[in-house]
Amino acid sequence: MFEEPYRWMEAVSNRHSYVQERLKLGQPVFSVPFDEGVLIVGFAPQRGKIFEIYDRIALGGVGHPADVERLRMTLLEMAHLEGFNRSAQDVTLARLLQFGIAPALKQNFEEIQRAPYIIRLLLVELDRECNPTFFRINYDGHWETFKDGTVIAGKEKIMDWIQKEIRALPFATFTLDKALEEVCRLWVESKKQEDGDGDDDKDFPKTLKEAFDQWYLEGALLSGKVERRAIYRTLTEEEIGKLKSSVG
Amino acid sequence: MSFQSNAQSSPGDFFELLGRSGYRWQTRVDPQTQNDFAVTQGTTVLAFHFKDGVIVAGDRRATAGNSIMYEHCDKVIPIDDYSLMAIAGVPATAFEMARILTHNFEFFRRSQMQSMSGEGKIRTLSKLLKENVGMAIQGLGAVSPIFATYDLQSKKPAIHFYDMLGADFQIRTHTATGSGSPTIRGILEHEDLWGEKPLAERSESNAVTLAVRLLQTAAQFDSATGKARPDDEIFPTVAIITEEGYRFMDDKELTDICKTSLRR
Repeated sequence: MFEEPYRWMEAVSNRHSYVQERLKLGQPVFSVPFDEGVLIVGFAPQRGKIFEIYDRIALGGVGHPADVERLRMTLLEMAHLEGFNRSAQDVTLARLLQFGIAPALKQNFEEIQRAPYIIRLLLVELDRECNPTFFRINYDGHWETFKDGTVIAGKEKIMDWIQKEIRALPFATFTLDKALEEVCRLWVESKKQEDGDGDDDKDFPKTLKEAFDQWYLEGALLSGKVERRAIYRTLTEEEIGKLKSSVG
Repeated sequence: MSFQSNAQSSPGDFFELLGRSGYRWQTRVDPQTQNDFAVTQGTTVLAFHFKDGVIVAGDRRATAGNSIMYEHCDKVIPIDDYSLMAIAGVPATAFEMARILTHNFEFFRRSQMQSMSGEGKIRTLSKLLKENVGMAIQGLGAVSPIFATYDLQSKKPAIHFYDMLGADFQIRTHTATGSGSPTIRGILEHEDLWGEKPLAERSESNAVTLAVRLLQTAAQFDSATGKARPDDEIFPTVAIITEEGYRFMDDKELTDICKTSLRR
């Protein structure tokens, strides 16, 4: 297999198709700025899409839960060892990605005897001046940076459509409530983009009422208003209840 | 990027992660290097229960033998949102213990997605002290801390005092440690038994006033305990822990408190 470059390229291409097929049903996780920080939110049949990584860093994931978990632990260990050995100020998302998981993911993906990670991750950081940075990293180690917010989803078509919509909205000026409402609206609109593509997700909720009834809304924020070191917190029941009554 | 499941490992244990990365906490006992010199404990730190929670306070002086080295030392250290450690003993060891604890509690909370229990936090410090015995008896790293926390499960504040071997003692009323502590332990007991109210029934402002006065008294009799010197902007460290977490008094509050509480 290795003496013929074509075979290797074909194998890598097959892996892309395999992973993309497995990711297809992954539900969108949004991350957008609002007037006091950054919001990260998504609907899913079970909890386990949004996590705290370090004082000012959060993670969202779609894909195989065991793979998301493995990468989450890797990020947690890297961040905490760096924070202990040097300083919390040296723990930055760019370093964790560029020198940590991205090269490892790429190597893993191209070593074709090893099982690929079935993941797409969204990482967000709010710096001390309250400026957010959004990153999206793929199963093959390729990452992109965004200023205005970003999204990950199983289907690239949906992801690209939501990304365009996020860029068109002034999320950074919205209050938390308004940002949540707009994200919910985008979620509903994105469902309409899926119509008729013949995928096996017919039983999935299509309206917000169905989503609230059948799934969990998982959400967290990095707040620039908090004076503590760790600025991550999950959305409260009251905040979700308020959203439900305003959009439901 | 390897992850190995190991039946002997403890999930969420940052101390174990440090070990895997090559870090080693303290050396074992070396009987050849035991010596007789006493460990300097130039400090007074105290903690007691009041009506809304617990108060933890300490002076700011660091000494080496007879020399005053530093007047801005922070001896009450935040560990997580609900826990503080007040230190007496060798600062290098105490500060590193605090750093390990901070990362340990946060790593556990983030990786296991739940806060460590109050009991778990208390045992973690015991473990560090136990593994530090070698350094302590060699005269190089003895630490005698007070650990105060708000237990989110029992919804109660707790104060624990530790000996240098790692034994922990839950404190129901008050405790103090460091070279200036003998002076004020008697006053605390007297105040609790025969003062205008038991300590646990006092208001926050009353508790803060008492803490500042006690530290000033300790400094009067112990040269290794620093006095409050508002003119030089040197104040004791005073923090409280309630169900909302810890809060340190800032310099402005302490200026006002010192103005009123230190007046004769």
